[in-house]
Amino acid sequence: MDVSNILASHAAKFQSVTVEKDTPLDVDTGFLTVTDSNPIDEDSYNDNLEEYLQSTARDGVQSLFTSLFSLPTVASADGPLAKLPPPTTQLPRCKPLPKPKPQTKWERFASAKGIQHKVRDKRVWDEEKQDWVNRWGKDGKNKEKEEQWISEVPHNADLNFDPVKKARDERKGRVAKNEKQRLGNVARAAPRERDVRKKEIDTTLATTRISTASMGKFDKKLEGEKKLRGIKRKFEPAESNETQASLAILSGLDGETRRTRKESGKEGDDVLNVRKAIHKASGGRGGIALGRAASGGRGGGGKRGGRGGKR
Amino acid sequence: MLRTVKPKNARSKRAMDAREPKEIEDPRTAIFVRGTHTGEVVTSVMKDLMALKRPNAISFSKKNVVRPFEDAASLDFWAQKNDASMFIVGQSTKKRPDGMVFARCYDGRVLDMCEVGVEKGGYKGLESFKTPKSTPGHKPMLHFASELFTTHPRFIQLKSILMDFFNGEVIDHICLPGLEHVISITLGPAPATLSGTEPTEDDTKSLPLVHIRAYTVRLLNSGTRVPRVELTEMGPSLDLRLRRTQAADAELWKQAMRRPKLKKTDVEKGLGKRKKNLEVDDMGDLRGRVHVGKQDLGRLQTRKMKGLKAGFDEDEDVHMSDGEGGDEEPSSRKKPRRAE
Repeated sequence: MDVSNILASHAAKFQSVTVEKDTPLDVDTGFLTVTDSNPIDEDSYNDNLEEYLQSTARDGVQSLFTSLFSLPTVASADGPLAKLPPPTTQLPRCKPLPKPKPQTKWERFASAKGIQHKVRDKRVWDEEKQDWVNRWGKDGKNKEKEEQWISEVPHNADLNFDPVKKARDERKGRVAKNEKQRLGNVARAAPRERDVRKKEIDTTLATTRISTASMGKFDKKLEGEKKLRGIKRKFEPAESNETQASLAILSGLDGETRRTRKESGKEGDDVLNVRKAIHKASGGRGGIALGRAASGGRGGGGKRGGRGGKR
Repeated sequence: MLRTVKPKNARSKRAMDAREPKEIEDPRTAIFVRGTHTGEVVTSVMKDLMALKRPNAISFSKKNVVRPFEDAASLDFWAQKNDASMFIVGQSTKKRPDGMVFARCYDGRVLDMCEVGVEKGGYKGLESFKTPKSTPGHKPMLHFASELFTTHPRFIQLKSILMDFFNGEVIDHICLPGLEHVISITLGPAPATLSGTEPTEDDTKSLPLVHIRAYTVRLLNSGTRVPRVELTEMGPSLDLRLRRTQAADAELWKQAMRRPKLKKTDVEKGLGKRKKNLEVDDMGDLRGRVHVGKQDLGRLQTRKMKGLKAGFDEDEDVHMSDGEGGDEEPSSRKKPRRAE
């Protein structure tokens, strides 16, 4: 039986999904990006630009889809979700990495002892009410003893023993203790003033030590002085264009006129905001109206006819 | 520098916490700034780019006197104020008509910049194509075509900036039917001068054109699991030429490229530096192989018996020689064994 006919008709019905290129395409599925590093075909580029661009883009997207559809998927309401691998292209971050939070005293102890963090539900089951109630806060379970309508009094109790007050004081005491511990953790996390000062001195010392022309190479060494690390002298390249370097410095300097203008402008800004002052003095009517009022002294008339001007 | 404020209520505290640095970052917010004179072309190009970038885009509709290559202080200020880390500054001057500056920030400071100019007649807007458009907010796919994107520093930077602009968010899942459009960035044929080993700087005229096209994707049945892809142009269509650039400061770049420390589970999955002889089996248990050196059987501790003690042989020899008389053979055979 000859099936080549059937195969050919099947092939004609469905176009191929394979892409053949000299250099294989570089697909970064994490960023949904494909890079085609084959050189541009100049003839077809000049012939018909749009068609060429579309066909290369199609080939690239086809290979991207091939790799996307080979990823493991999870079903969801909107369709299959493909699990993407982490991207291979490295892009710069927008913000520095977050600093690790300082551990609290309990966290330090727990990690040393290997105690796992347990998430405590905010609500607890109340047998009497047959319902979930808050552990603390509004109608909290921790206030149960204070709010019950009758409470037990021990035999040897004082005459003015108040069980409600006792329960409340205990609860408030726990809150106060927790706050005290929190403040302790905050104080422990903050850098000590002594350490900060020491660091400051160290940086100052390091700066002074490399502030000679030789960057401290011929300075007198004190006993026990540590060697500074990572200090390198930078030299101008042996064959540099001196004129260009000098011109670059010159162009960086402002001209005399420009500098004076800038300074005067800055001074004016600091002392008095002219626009705001006029606005306030004229009651929002502007400098012209103020000038007119000062010179003419028309008073009420000026106010009335202020908008219209000359007719 | 903006003043540091302490949040006064829970809502503002949440808003401020959202701006704190995160390990896995949100997509970059882009601010579209108009310079002193923008011109019709650049205004509509920026409008179209904003349509693609939405919802992570902020438009500054007023004109601003800003020259990013001379003084980037305003960009720094806006970046901090708006919590944005990308800028597109449009400016059209006689010397550089229809220009746009793509600037990228790190930690509220400008990291690097790249200026492009829209070629004359090289722009067709989103509206001029009467074809179906992609849904706003969907992630685009990106396609770069040219060998220069891996070799030439200018185009490596351009690729990095455009990837950051369109697609810079790290996600772990993607909905396959939600992939609707692709943005294709193709270069013109590379001139012979660029193929050499050393890239020639300052000569932007010799750099090839950058063609940016956006297509919507249609998936056809192919008889296999992978569908056949067909593209329809959606717009905008841009032809750009590279102009000035400002590369990132080496130190700042190094800081910006820092990666978070990999979690233990990720390392087990095989990310990061490969650890030898570790594997996770089908049950999810971590299995390791340990190399224990070569075993020395001579030192093996066997059962402790009086007869196996080190000094026992000599006594026996004496005893045996006494009993059987003058046979030296066994003792000489035993000597080398004792020396072991």
